[in-house]
Amino acid sequence: MARRVRPSRSGAALVIAMGLLAAACGAPGSNSPQPEASTASSLSAAPACGTAPITLNAYFETGFPVAKALTTEFTKQHPNVTWNIREDQFAVITQNAPRVLADNPPDLMRLPQVSELVKDNLLKNMDGYAKAFGWDKWPASQLEQLRMGPGGRPRGEGSLYAMGINFSMTGVFYNKKLAEKIGLSSPPATLAGLDDALAKAKDAGITPIVQFNGGATGGLAFPLQNLMASYGPAGPINDWIFQKPGATIDTPSNLQAAQHLERWIKAGYFQKDVNAVDYATMMSRFIDGQGLFMFDGDWESGNLDKQMPGEAGFFLMPPAQAGGKRAAMSAPLTFGVSARAKNADCAAFFLDWVATDRQAREIGVDIGGSHPMGPADGHMPEIAADKVTASTLAAGADIAKDNGSMDFIANATGAIYAKSWTPQLQKMVAGQQTPQELLKQVQADYTRQVEGN
Amino acid sequence: MARPIPGRSPRGRAAEAAARSTRGWAGWLFVLPALAFYVVFVLRPIALTAQYSLYEWDGIGPSTWVGLANYGRVFTDPELFDSLVNAVKLIVFFSAIPVVLGLAIAATIRRIAASRLALVARTVIFLPQVIPLVAAGIAWSWLLSSTGVVNQFLTLLGLGRVTRAWLGDFATALPAVGMIGAWVLLGLCTLLLLAGMSKIDVALYEAARLDGAGAWREFVSITVPSLRQEIAVCVTVTVIAALASFDIIYISTQGGPGNATMVPGLQIYYLAFSERQIGMASALAMVLMLLVIACALPIQWFTKDGNR
Amino acid sequence: MITARREAWIGRLLLVAMMAVTILPFLSLFVTALHPSGTYPPGLAWPGDPQWGNFLRAFEAANMGALLQSSVLIVLGVVPISIVLGTMAGFAIGHLRVIGGRVVFLVFVLGLTLPFEGIITPLYYQIRDMGLLNTRLAIILPLIGLFMPFSVFWMRAHFVNMPQELSESARIDGANVWQLFRRIHVPLAMPAISSLGILLFLWTWNQFLLAIVLVDDATKRTMSGALGAFQGQWGTDIPLLCAGSLLILTPTLAIFLIFQRRFVAALLQGSLKG
Repeated sequence: MARRVRPSRSGAALVIAMGLLAAACGAPGSNSPQPEASTASSLSAAPACGTAPITLNAYFETGFPVAKALTTEFTKQHPNVTWNIREDQFAVITQNAPRVLADNPPDLMRLPQVSELVKDNLLKNMDGYAKAFGWDKWPASQLEQLRMGPGGRPRGEGSLYAMGINFSMTGVFYNKKLAEKIGLSSPPATLAGLDDALAKAKDAGITPIVQFNGGATGGLAFPLQNLMASYGPAGPINDWIFQKPGATIDTPSNLQAAQHLERWIKAGYFQKDVNAVDYATMMSRFIDGQGLFMFDGDWESGNLDKQMPGEAGFFLMPPAQAGGKRAAMSAPLTFGVSARAKNADCAAFFLDWVATDRQAREIGVDIGGSHPMGPADGHMPEIAADKVTASTLAAGADIAKDNGSMDFIANATGAIYAKSWTPQLQKMVAGQQTPQELLKQVQADYTRQVEGN
Repeated sequence: MARPIPGRSPRGRAAEAAARSTRGWAGWLFVLPALAFYVVFVLRPIALTAQYSLYEWDGIGPSTWVGLANYGRVFTDPELFDSLVNAVKLIVFFSAIPVVLGLAIAATIRRIAASRLALVARTVIFLPQVIPLVAAGIAWSWLLSSTGVVNQFLTLLGLGRVTRAWLGDFATALPAVGMIGAWVLLGLCTLLLLAGMSKIDVALYEAARLDGAGAWREFVSITVPSLRQEIAVCVTVTVIAALASFDIIYISTQGGPGNATMVPGLQIYYLAFSERQIGMASALAMVLMLLVIACALPIQWFTKDGNR
Repeated sequence: MITARREAWIGRLLLVAMMAVTILPFLSLFVTALHPSGTYPPGLAWPGDPQWGNFLRAFEAANMGALLQSSVLIVLGVVPISIVLGTMAGFAIGHLRVIGGRVVFLVFVLGLTLPFEGIITPLYYQIRDMGLLNTRLAIILPLIGLFMPFSVFWMRAHFVNMPQELSESARIDGANVWQLFRRIHVPLAMPAISSLGILLFLWTWNQFLLAIVLVDDATKRTMSGALGAFQGQWGTDIPLLCAGSLLILTPTLAIFLIFQRRFVAALLQGSLKG
């Protein structure tokens, strides 16, 4: 028996039903409560965690044990505070950040790029805390990257919307044993010297650079930005990252940098499968002695000191000309408090404790490997000179002298890393993208994202 | 299938109508709860997706009406359009391989269907259907990595030159993801086709043998035509799996390298929840839903008669 | 005869090869799980010192007890309600032939092929506005709705084949519609219902997208979603990730092996009808 339904009649009924459903609601977002810009509440006294039992909800990055170590120590000193910690890889945190901050607000969260979160009023304005705790008396450069104008633009000035738990620095790690093999006795002083070392390593059958560039994380952005800093000044790059009007990444010196990176790729200085190497694989390969250089940050110093003691060295990316100024990506390991957090005061107290407590600062250096935040005369633990941590801390001082600290080019907008740098760099590795087009494309995406917001 | 057919005689029709009106409205009470869930959690969201797709909205602030502009971008922005193209390319791996290979394997197995081995095999090759796709993604990304088993095997065969990080290479990432899908779906297709074959009249084959037909002729002129319905089902299920793929790619490549394995499902997720372009995400979602229906409906229609 | 024997051998070979390919990923997971945590073992290599403790560590790291409990709760929320509602609607549409039943049925059928990604965005805002984000209900309620097309389709296919005389005689005995349904048709529909139950169980247990979007807390997710979180957190430690994946696989595999006949039959029928 035929059970055909005449499509016209039921189709019409369906369309009408759908229309009724859709008509029942107005334009999206029109009737949901809008979060309001949080203004700094002025505090009469510095907030604290009190004495009553309290549980802080935290969202941290996997593979960075320093945050958890700090919470453990904090609970030891303040037993009424317990922690409920969720961890994810950074790429996942980046995806989740707006959603989690808005709808499931943590008290303390490792943050990706912040300006869009500020624009959506998802982060707590910390000016009040800064005043109460005296953060505004710290060296201003520490918090510069976390200050934002109204609506999140431009960055670098305005209200404070996040804090760091330490101040990280990037450069080039090298394997001392392999360096000896190719006769590299001291870190190269110029870019040409670095090129020379890379070529020698290649000839000696050593992988010159281990780097990650797989999945959603284009790690070649590390060498690229270092090359940019070799060829040109740090200022315009920061302007671009801070979304200053008219800033562009597509400059002649950046093009030279991208072309230089392409030469490295074509010369086979990276591993053949670099487009499939994730961060953890890179680390395990470097520790295993499978490569001479690695572009990475001092957050690994503590780890490297433990896993290959005395065998890892660190130097800042050398300038193109001898004696030129040096620059490095250097940024606070950013943590923020949701605008809707229940225990914002206690979270702020924790952040202050991290920067000022003697024990906390030691954990920050030993486990975190980076310079702690806080007052210029804050306690610094002794570090043995042969440790890589000592070199990274010393490099930090050099950068401060040259005024060469930059934020990461991947932090310019929320989507620029995953949707622009990563695919473009992966294409360049595969020979499907030219340096010119790469910068043009990234700039086009950037313009659209900044304007769209 | 013997069932009284209503409406034969005028009297029967009247009686039937009376019965229907009393039963009819009571019957609605049976349908309503199911319909309520369906309307609230499926139809309403579909309607909202259609609505959102006409706006530009970041999910938090107020929205702006943009008409069909989002659809325009779906078809002109290479990043979005390529994701649709990738999904269509995946059909080759998700559908063609399992169906063709499944037919070959099922035809071969049929001859030894009663053996112990075949019984064990039925259980084993079904395993990929039961486990979460996420687990399949994790296991295969490890197998396909540069130091994984696949490369180890190729090196053993003296093919060391072709080894690579399969999921990290522009040329091989999409096929590699496709192979994961093929692995998941091959068992299902094989068993479906095998079940269909067991219903084919053995006499047909005997007659063919008497006519001197070889195994190939037998396969082409008897097996394949008799399995029309099963093949159609395999194609529908696998085509939908290809177009709506998400889990495997989310786990194994996140759409990379570049955008080589970006598919609409993943793109929607990124657009909606990480880039906060709800309108764009919804426009792509509408296109995806229509594409699935456009692919599935003809095949559904095709099998309808078999479904009484 | 010779050709027949050769064909049989080729058949066996093919089967063994296919089983090998099917098993390979599981084997690789298992072998890798036994390597010291934090290492990157190359290919299939039996470790010198198998780390059986990795499974225990993964069990604790993944919080398996809580995960199992959560998945069971979600399944208990989704499957019985879906079955009851789907059976009732299938009965009304397929057997009672309610007025307008065909149109309703067509509306349900349209949902059969719906990709979940299509509606995940509005679903997120809807669940948020209902205040259910990050609760198990955020997975349970939408899944009931999303599975409804199949449940109704499946049960209607069963009821449409039930002879009307069955009901006629019961009605003559004075049974009302509910009694008719409860006492006569449900018992007869048990095979169809249990197959539906198996399919719904599997689809719920393995649901990923809803879990990662609507629930942040891994201990309130489905097994599959929890595995996603586990990968997010431990993806940097390959042996531990492999051990965790295997642990998370185990419950489904166990249930599958126990009920394998029903499983295979249900899945095959399921795809034939769906």
